[in-house]
Amino acid sequence: MKSELSTKVRNLFRLLLYGIFLQLLSMTVSLAQGVTTQESDERAVQGKVTDDQGEALPGATVLVKESDIGTITDMEGRYVLNVPEEATTLIFSYIGYLQQEVAINGRSVIDLSLNPDVTSLEEVVVVGYGTQEKSAVTGSVASLSHERFEDRSFNNVLQSMSGQLPGVNITQAQGAPGSSPIVRIRGISSITAGTEPLYVVDGLPLEDFNLNMINPQDIESVEVLKDASSAAIYGSRGANGVILITTKTGKPGQTTVNLNYEYGIQDVVRKIDVMNAQQFIDYYVTAHNNAWIAAGGLASDPNSVRPKQYQIPEDFINNPEQFGEGTDWQDVAFRRAPSHNTQLSVSGGTDKTQFLFSGAYLDQDAVLDQNYYKRLAIRSNIRQELSDKVRMGLNLAFTSIYDRTDGTQGKSDVVSLAVQSDPIFPVYNENGNLGFKDPNSEWYRFAQFTDLQLWHVYSLTREIEKQNKSFNTLGTAFLEYDIIDGLTFRSSINGNLLNNRYDSYRNKGQKYGYSSYLDAQGNNSSAFMLNWLTENTLTYDKSFGEHTLNALVGYTAQHQKDEFSEVAAGNYPNDLVHTLNAGTVTGGSSTASEWSMLSYLARVNYDFQYKYFLTATLRRDGSSRFGQNTKWGYFPSVSAGWLMSEESFLKNNNLINFLKLRASYGVTGNNQIPNYGAISLLTTSNYVYGAELANGLEVSNIANPNIKWEKTTQVNLGIDLGMFRNRVSLSAELYHSTTNDLLLDVPVPDITGFSTQLTNIGKLRNKGVELNVSTKNVEKAFSWKTDFNFSLNRNKVLQLGPENAPIIVTDYVATVKTAVGQPISNFYGYIFDGVYNTQEEIDATPHDPSTTPGDPIVRDVNGDGQITEDDRTTLGNYQPNFTAGLINTFSYKGLDFSFMLQGTFGSEIINQMIRYNGIWNGGRNAFADVANYWRSPENPGDGIHFKPTIEPKGLQEKFSSYWIEDGTFVRIKNIRLSYTLPQSLLNNIPVKVARVYVNAENVHVFSDYRNFDPENTTYSSGLLIGADYTSYPVPRIITFGAQINF
Amino acid sequence: MNTIKRIIAIGCLCILSFGCKESFLDLAPLSNSNASNFYKTQEDFDLAVNNAYSTLYTIYAPESAVSYCAEQMSDNATLYNVAGIQADRWAFKDYIVKPANTEVYRFWQNYYNALYSINIILEKIEGADLAEAYKQQVSAEMKFLRGLYYFNMVRMWGEVPLVTRPVTADESYDILRSPEADIYSLVLEDLQYAAEHLPLASEVSVPGKASKGAAQTLLGKVYLTLEDKTAAAQVLQEVVSSGQYALLPDYASLWIVSNKNTAESVFEIQYKGGAGNPFSPYWTAFAPTENFVLTLYGGGMNQVTDNLWNEYEADDPRKELSIFTGYTNKAGTFIPIKFPKKWVDSTAQTVNGRELSDNNFMVLRYADVLLMLSEATDDPAYLNQVRARAGLPAFGSADYPMAKFPTLALAIEHERRVELALEFHRWFDLKRTDRALPVLTAKGKPVTADKLLLPIPEIVLQQNSALLQNPGYD
Repeated sequence: MKSELSTKVRNLFRLLLYGIFLQLLSMTVSLAQGVTTQESDERAVQGKVTDDQGEALPGATVLVKESDIGTITDMEGRYVLNVPEEATTLIFSYIGYLQQEVAINGRSVIDLSLNPDVTSLEEVVVVGYGTQEKSAVTGSVASLSHERFEDRSFNNVLQSMSGQLPGVNITQAQGAPGSSPIVRIRGISSITAGTEPLYVVDGLPLEDFNLNMINPQDIESVEVLKDASSAAIYGSRGANGVILITTKTGKPGQTTVNLNYEYGIQDVVRKIDVMNAQQFIDYYVTAHNNAWIAAGGLASDPNSVRPKQYQIPEDFINNPEQFGEGTDWQDVAFRRAPSHNTQLSVSGGTDKTQFLFSGAYLDQDAVLDQNYYKRLAIRSNIRQELSDKVRMGLNLAFTSIYDRTDGTQGKSDVVSLAVQSDPIFPVYNENGNLGFKDPNSEWYRFAQFTDLQLWHVYSLTREIEKQNKSFNTLGTAFLEYDIIDGLTFRSSINGNLLNNRYDSYRNKGQKYGYSSYLDAQGNNSSAFMLNWLTENTLTYDKSFGEHTLNALVGYTAQHQKDEFSEVAAGNYPNDLVHTLNAGTVTGGSSTASEWSMLSYLARVNYDFQYKYFLTATLRRDGSSRFGQNTKWGYFPSVSAGWLMSEESFLKNNNLINFLKLRASYGVTGNNQIPNYGAISLLTTSNYVYGAELANGLEVSNIANPNIKWEKTTQVNLGIDLGMFRNRVSLSAELYHSTTNDLLLDVPVPDITGFSTQLTNIGKLRNKGVELNVSTKNVEKAFSWKTDFNFSLNRNKVLQLGPENAPIIVTDYVATVKTAVGQPISNFYGYIFDGVYNTQEEIDATPHDPSTTPGDPIVRDVNGDGQITEDDRTTLGNYQPNFTAGLINTFSYKGLDFSFMLQGTFGSEIINQMIRYNGIWNGGRNAFADVANYWRSPENPGDGIHFKPTIEPKGLQEKFSSYWIEDGTFVRIKNIRLSYTLPQSLLNNIPVKVARVYVNAENVHVFSDYRNFDPENTTYSSGLLIGADYTSYPVPRIITFGAQINF
Repeated sequence: MNTIKRIIAIGCLCILSFGCKESFLDLAPLSNSNASNFYKTQEDFDLAVNNAYSTLYTIYAPESAVSYCAEQMSDNATLYNVAGIQADRWAFKDYIVKPANTEVYRFWQNYYNALYSINIILEKIEGADLAEAYKQQVSAEMKFLRGLYYFNMVRMWGEVPLVTRPVTADESYDILRSPEADIYSLVLEDLQYAAEHLPLASEVSVPGKASKGAAQTLLGKVYLTLEDKTAAAQVLQEVVSSGQYALLPDYASLWIVSNKNTAESVFEIQYKGGAGNPFSPYWTAFAPTENFVLTLYGGGMNQVTDNLWNEYEADDPRKELSIFTGYTNKAGTFIPIKFPKKWVDSTAQTVNGRELSDNNFMVLRYADVLLMLSEATDDPAYLNQVRARAGLPAFGSADYPMAKFPTLALAIEHERRVELALEFHRWFDLKRTDRALPVLTAKGKPVTADKLLLPIPEIVLQQNSALLQNPGYD
């Protein structure tokens, strides 16, 4: 029994590794031998092989047991085989189906239906440069097959992965369609170099790849290489983890046509609560009066005695009621938006040829006014056997995206500006124009007050025309050649071609809706990127008795060139023609950059009795980015596994049916450093003599010929456990990684002429725990499954630049400090302990000399009795304490229902909108809760919001705990319901499967965060990640879909 | 046998594909020059020198250190509502600048970044295989700029690290703050070299290059600051007797955009308006914030105090030529607010929400030379040339407001304030004459002796803990 199982598994392993072709090769041999044995006594047996649904299986193998005699089935699944008299048993096999032995018992007709081998299909995972049976994996590889993201209405497969995999943190910083989420695998392993994982699409490694370019429905599986031993085969690009995308291929058999249509509705359900017109007027008046009183005036003073900046519009004093509630600019900005997604795929093939053709068109309006996203994705994947030893394949995908996406750029973009705009102004003035700066409008009386603010949504969405077009072509072609048994040569050529074009035109004056009356302007830019890769590998795969060996050596070369150009024009005679020829060109530029890489790689997988596993890899990378003295680096790894449940003492154990222990060690690199970081560059810096322009060149950075990759060393321990016949399966991992040679823009004394120098120095550590538990709670006609995952990561900086000087980054006043002994990017500022109510309270505590009642209480952190810059301290950190996800799936007959919860716990966010909406800032609108500000000792407000003033003195404006909000949230991420029509209804029509479904994404967020979404962050990388100037809200999306397979 | 052949064939294939040479990895930047091949030819040095001159754009920008110090830390100018971190920008006028002030750190970076551009030329030209005369000319120009910059720095920060050649990060930790005397001796050395080797103004190769007169004028100012009136008088007399300079007959013509590099100009920063050019930022920066009429937005820098407005004698034509008293908005309402007028460019092209103005900026001009000469010689004759141009009675004459300005020193102080108003001189003048504390205190500025120096930026002290803070900033 034991040897049978191991033989079976080993066979499957081989089959899947080699593909169908090797098997066919052996078949051909068998058939040839079959001819030679025709002389002996024999009889014909015939029949039909079908699958469990009754569909014919062409190309299935029928063998006479303990002989070389056999045949394969024809297109109808039929076979005829001449069987020797002494034969007793036939073996039926087909890839992906359980092999079956049938006793002949003298019959001449044997029909058979094969059952799919579900386990074998699920258990093969793609690893770098090959595949591996899941139970043989010794590193940490998370795998997600297409079933786990089907019906999800996302444009990017990463969004569907969010919350499903422990250790893989995927957050949606911007909710705009087409905005890629931020992916962090096992914490942040770099301070200034990139932290995005490497994407490998059908074998082509791509840095900064936008996965929106791949239609999620074309994806067969996504694998995430989390630990350094699995990622080490990608060498200097593996330190942030690797995400492998494998697209679907056709399967031999009948052609399947899959037609799918989805209709979706998107809504912004979580708005920011800001002041209405009445609250704003009260706030405005008080802020002016408080400052005027501080300057020696009286609140009752009329404008005639006040200097300009303290003056208040008469309308606010005499008749504030005329403004009513005013305009909620978020209501103007956002709308309910529909989407349509139509997909068609045709797949199938024969033993020699398999194909998949697919096309999908997505037409999506976005929730933000005038925004949209349209994507056409076409793919053709073909595999062909040229001879019994030579195979080739070609995957070709073309994607074109037309979109307009505003609102994702933070403080000066339309979403943030809508939140900052004052509610007192109408959507249209009496002239049909947009703003109060229209000199012919009665609203113009407010224009003399420089502290009233309106950036009208329509002035940015309707008075500016924008379109972005992207064209992406991705091609991978390979040739495989079996040199001798077990030894295969594979050569591939891969390419990615990306073309972007962006056009915009701003109407003259924008109907007075913007803060200033700007001239018409046209912009055009285009980007071109070509990335090519050639790969050559030799694989040797062989079993020797109880030893199985799989060895790989390879060589790759890759090159990428990016080109960018832009032109701007102004001085348009009118707004009729928007192309740049109608105006005068005011500026233009073009730039280009490139990188190249050469790599050698090797791997050995070995197992003994399918119980003891050992893998070792080595990669040598050379990169144009690295300095002259450090062009090449080595990235080794070793890992081992012990499948304990195969040992005799656990065999047939009733409790434990699967148990594996894993341990790994590996070294990976992070090459996401500037293309020319090692070289001292000159940049243009011109001067003028008289009227003559004089070209000048400036040294922009210091050369560093020793620049190299960041090096991450990681140890991973894992345990996989299956209990009660896999009713309960558990996987737990423990990792510890150290990143050395951090490439830091090390602050150097400014007297060198530079503030920073790119240097490999510094060290940080990530350690963490990941847990995944799946249970099959009920397994009857009604079934209920639960998947739970949990991840925890702790990050600590161990060493920085010279003297370990902390790295401090600021945006406006928001300060983020990275110091030794602390996690990356601590928020750093004063602690506000509420609001001073009386002068006595002020006198009793250390305070800034400018403090008056109504000002914030600043904590004397160091206890020296005075408030100084030394009282700044750690206020929080964006990195969560832990994250978790929970998915429950229920099915009953054709009905499937599932819901998913996802949570992030213990993180903090810098609410950068405090700058505009939390503190008086030039008359911008404020958060609604700011209306509870301190008015007087008798009317102290909520004790949090200090008195507003147009001239803040002291520390009100400084970065403090007033800016920090709790980032903890629990999200009902997804609810799905689908119904598959019973087969009995489809018997008389040519439809194999018919299904309808409803899918809801981002159903509800439980969070105290005041801005749109706790996952929002204006910065998607770097040290300021977690600072939010309001971002594009993440909408709730409900889609209705129907799927038919012919 | 067949198998072996196949293996050989595949082996050859592999070798072919391995054929990429290591040079595949040597990629030169496509959109920037590589500095390693630079500083060789005269063309290289010309490009580098032009960049060194362009550092004047940051050092004398409207939001530069000298602007904040000279105008806002004196009694000339203030700030209202402005964009950016208001508290850090308001701190100068209120004398509450803290070491963590982001503007002060920016100033520090600007100066040392500019000094790098100068020092690397001075170092590389030494060994360059070029004509001696050219090398001397380049060195003299660079030393003029370096002298100017260190003179500004020592007056604003006091002791600063003295960097005279490109230094590596490792070396920089050993360079601590030098005594003021050492800085002044470098300034004198540099300017003396410049005065010796630079050509007369009429002989400079292109307008805008430093001249002998510029170096001598600056030397005169340094000597005055060091209280060496004899040396100052001598060098300033040479400027006068060189015959290179004259007061323009009309004060107004100094501020006409197209009047560049006039006879009165001694050292002038060159700008060129229009898209793609190094345009002049002063008009945009000095216009009232969000005026929407004069400029698209307006920067609101150096808004003029009533105190400066009132300093002018009643019939002084320079008052209305230097200061606006307000503007009329689009609805026809007059908005009263005083702001600088000297750098108006109402015909500037606008691109991307800002004006691309054409005005130059005079760092040194002949009126300054004459006023300094009166200060050095105690002879009011030079002062009176300046007053005569403005059509005002001479110091010592019956009509002179002696009651207000009873001594020559006070008369010079007054004249410098109104003649050179808003041109980044006032605070430095008051400091030079030890008048800053009494004058500014009387006007309500919370100033102390310590606060007449800026703090060393906090981040600079964090980077090198061996550096010490100025007193009064701990």
